[in-house]
Amino acid sequence: VLVLVRSPLPRLRALLQRHCGRLERGLWPGVLGGQSPPWGPALAVQGPALLPQWINDAGESSAKAPSLLESILWMAAPKKRRTIEVNRCRRRNPDKLIEIKRNIDVCPECGNLKQKHVLCGYCYAKVKAETRLIRMEIRKKEGGPFNAPTVETVVLYEGEKPTEKDEGKRIIERARKRPSWFVQN
Amino acid sequence: MRLSLAAAISHGRVYRRFGLSPRSRLDLLRNLVTALVRHERIETPWARADEMRGYAERLIDYAKRGDTDERAMRMADFWLTEKDLIHKLFKVLAPRFQPHPGSYTRLLQIPNRDGLDRAKMAVIELKGNPLPPLVRPRRDSDKTLLNQLLKGYRQDAQRAAAH
Repeated sequence: VLVLVRSPLPRLRALLQRHCGRLERGLWPGVLGGQSPPWGPALAVQGPALLPQWINDAGESSAKAPSLLESILWMAAPKKRRTIEVNRCRRRNPDKLIEIKRNIDVCPECGNLKQKHVLCGYCYAKVKAETRLIRMEIRKKEGGPFNAPTVETVVLYEGEKPTEKDEGKRIIERARKRPSWFVQN
Repeated sequence: MRLSLAAAISHGRVYRRFGLSPRSRLDLLRNLVTALVRHERIETPWARADEMRGYAERLIDYAKRGDTDERAMRMADFWLTEKDLIHKLFKVLAPRFQPHPGSYTRLLQIPNRDGLDRAKMAVIELKGNPLPPLVRPRRDSDKTLLNQLLKGYRQDAQRAAAH
């Protein structure tokens, strides 16, 4: 059994469109002040909050032209100058101030400051420089592009011999003493 | 009354949007995965590294199936744009990670980039790489109060066991 489910949105939209149209044309009973619908009873007038305008208009319409103050668009403007006290309250409110960071620590290796969840900048720069030199050696060994080896790699410093764990690996020589923070395993 | 959903709600969406289109996002991540397999440690914006991590680990899981597997070879062929890295993946990385059940990568945040954008950067590396270590494992010092108390307790227990 096929069940066709139509979303309620188009029906709702159509309903609203019809009623909007009726509102605009002034046919919705009693909503817009003062105007009774054309087919309303002649004697029993619907009681509006204000008297219909045409009663008073007859006397005044000849005297007053639509004044300039009613036809232009009014925009918001501050009434009074904001005092410095009020300004200070707004500007120094806690959520406008910059938050102080409480997650700054000292790196145990080098003593520079670091954030707790971030690597130390100095130590990382050290490691990055050494990695760059190792990669230059690798580039020299590989010779050209797309020559990635199919064996593991091991980095040996001055005076080091490959152990039995480094059996089938490609050896990258670095011409310096092993740094203290690069432990051989 | 609002008749349409706001386009700005993205509840439950897990994939970030990168690049110019979904295809461009995959190309971007593919370049990063290729670079990671080639260099074993790369430095990129944190969001890209985080997004790429899942793809890289799944690629290694596929590689662990072995290179005779048709599906694994097709995946490696798509994800690695430099074809010599396919050999490296199956012959070097798959045996290296065979004993591990998962989490073959390490993602660490580094200080923000130096340029105008001050982007949040991260370094992502494959575990067991030959490069110098980024973080040294810190052993607890023997001179802390707790460790001294534990040492004293251990010595008392040994003395009591000796008598």
